[in-house]
Amino acid sequence: MPPPGTISAAEGGAELLLGLAIFALAAFLMAFVVLVAGKLLRTRVPHPDKAAAYECGEQPVGPGWVQFDLRFYVVALVFLIFDVEIALFYPWAVVYGGGSAPDATWELLRQVRWAALWDMLFFFAVIVVGFLYLWRFGYLDWVRTLPEESGGVPETTSASDRT
Amino acid sequence: MTNQTIQRVEGALRNPLVLVGVGAVLTVPAALVLVLAFPLYRGLLSDPFWFPLLVMAAVLFLILNATAVCILAERKIAGFTQDRYGPNRVGFWGLLQPVADGLKFLLKEDIIPRRVDKPLFLLAPCLALIVSLVGFAVIPWAGEVHWPWMEAGTTVSTQVARLDIGILYVIAVGSLGVYGLVLAGYASNNKYSFYGGLRATAQMISYELPLGLALLCVLLTTGTLRLEEIVNQQAHSGVWYVFVHPLAFLLIVICLFAETNRAPFDLPEAEQELVGGYHTEYSAMKFALFFLAEYAHMITGSAVAIALFLGGWAPLPFTSWLADNTAWWAMLLKFGVYLLKVALFIGVMMWVRWTIPRFRFDQLMRLAWRSLVPLGLLLMAAVAVLTLFGGQRVWWAGLGVNVLVLLGVLWWAARSKQPMTGRQEDLPPVEFGAM
Repeated sequence: MPPPGTISAAEGGAELLLGLAIFALAAFLMAFVVLVAGKLLRTRVPHPDKAAAYECGEQPVGPGWVQFDLRFYVVALVFLIFDVEIALFYPWAVVYGGGSAPDATWELLRQVRWAALWDMLFFFAVIVVGFLYLWRFGYLDWVRTLPEESGGVPETTSASDRT
Repeated sequence: MTNQTIQRVEGALRNPLVLVGVGAVLTVPAALVLVLAFPLYRGLLSDPFWFPLLVMAAVLFLILNATAVCILAERKIAGFTQDRYGPNRVGFWGLLQPVADGLKFLLKEDIIPRRVDKPLFLLAPCLALIVSLVGFAVIPWAGEVHWPWMEAGTTVSTQVARLDIGILYVIAVGSLGVYGLVLAGYASNNKYSFYGGLRATAQMISYELPLGLALLCVLLTTGTLRLEEIVNQQAHSGVWYVFVHPLAFLLIVICLFAETNRAPFDLPEAEQELVGGYHTEYSAMKFALFFLAEYAHMITGSAVAIALFLGGWAPLPFTSWLADNTAWWAMLLKFGVYLLKVALFIGVMMWVRWTIPRFRFDQLMRLAWRSLVPLGLLLMAAVAVLTLFGGQRVWWAGLGVNVLVLLGVLWWAARSKQPMTGRQEDLPPVEFGAM
């Protein structure tokens, strides 16, 4: 058995990709075959009302592509940053956790691990600081109030405006 | 056919003996062909390239059927939970319900609304299904097998692709699943679908972070991304990683529910608010593809979680029984054990679905960003420190770290002034915009 992290000739490269490609093709064919079978078998009775967008029987007002809330955008942005950072942890975790250099002494391994741990803790701290920033300024809250300086709750939601 | 004939056929199908008879008529010739043609495909069975592909064909076939059975099981479990029968009209005990459903999906009219984006509308369900199936390629179904006619010491793998980056591949493909839903929501040109797609995106990407963090805990322990290696380690030492990292397992299970859009996280298709969510406009086979994709995603997800935490094909914890056995009967046994574990896992998912009510959207985001992500970060740091002292595979050390983290989190939650429940009266009054 080869040590983790190496690709032996027998299982690397083209054959592996071919296997995956055949698998993906089989999955695609599955979707394709059932769709075509449905197309050949089913009835077709068109009617203009059937082709309308479904809005519980009401006439749809405008297109379905409406403006959406900015909060979704913020979530996506935060996710992107964090996910990339977490992805950077993966190679580190494999090497650090495995520690599988065959001729390394315990002492050497320990030294390397200390160094790796400190490096990663620094990186980790950067993430945590970013996370705390998001937390403190309310970017992680879905139902949100405006920051203190602009006078507490947003105007549209304060009770006094509703009278 | 006259009404009377139909009734007679229906009545006959409700007789269990008739069902067994039909099943025998269908399976016995197939089994006979398999046995008689054995010399023809014997060579394929011992070929390192073709055998995994044969396993793949079997698995794909199995999963298509498993999906049908899952839908019946889901409805039966729902019936059981809510003290009613569930489907019991088609065939004995409703056993032919999946067949009837399949026929209906094939025969119903397929309506494509006027203003949809047609290419994307068609692409979305296919994409959803394909990406949820492709993840199966790296599942180590039954380890290695040695056929009696092979040279001594050689084995073939039951895994289609023995990828070096196994887990990473699963995450990558799993994340692609969000595209199916987003495209469906966008292409439909329908407000309900659009909101459903948006919710699905926000939810799936939010729960991917704790998922990744929890996986890191296991990776620190295993030191490899290969799924077959991870299962081997567990099978040989007998220490399943759920005993070492129970909190990480909990995180993964929660994220799995959210990633597959299952209750209590089924907001993208919340019927009471969004009609059907992203598949509001879909009908006939395209709708069925979404269903297939959801169940296939569940099966992939639980298979990966089982490989990482519950010992994969290892039948019993705390022993290394079968770990080095590559006989063909051991392979079949391992395969059976794996499938049984997947079935149990999915059973739990269904049980949860019909027990726990749905979250509100702000609760969902709060759970992901303010509970699971910090917990994941804390866990990862704790396991990293544990690894420094070489204790990552000692199960009591891992368990100890988990208990410490849990106590710390509970202490922090108990003393924080803001309640974590996010109940309605704790929130400022807001006008509900489009969520």
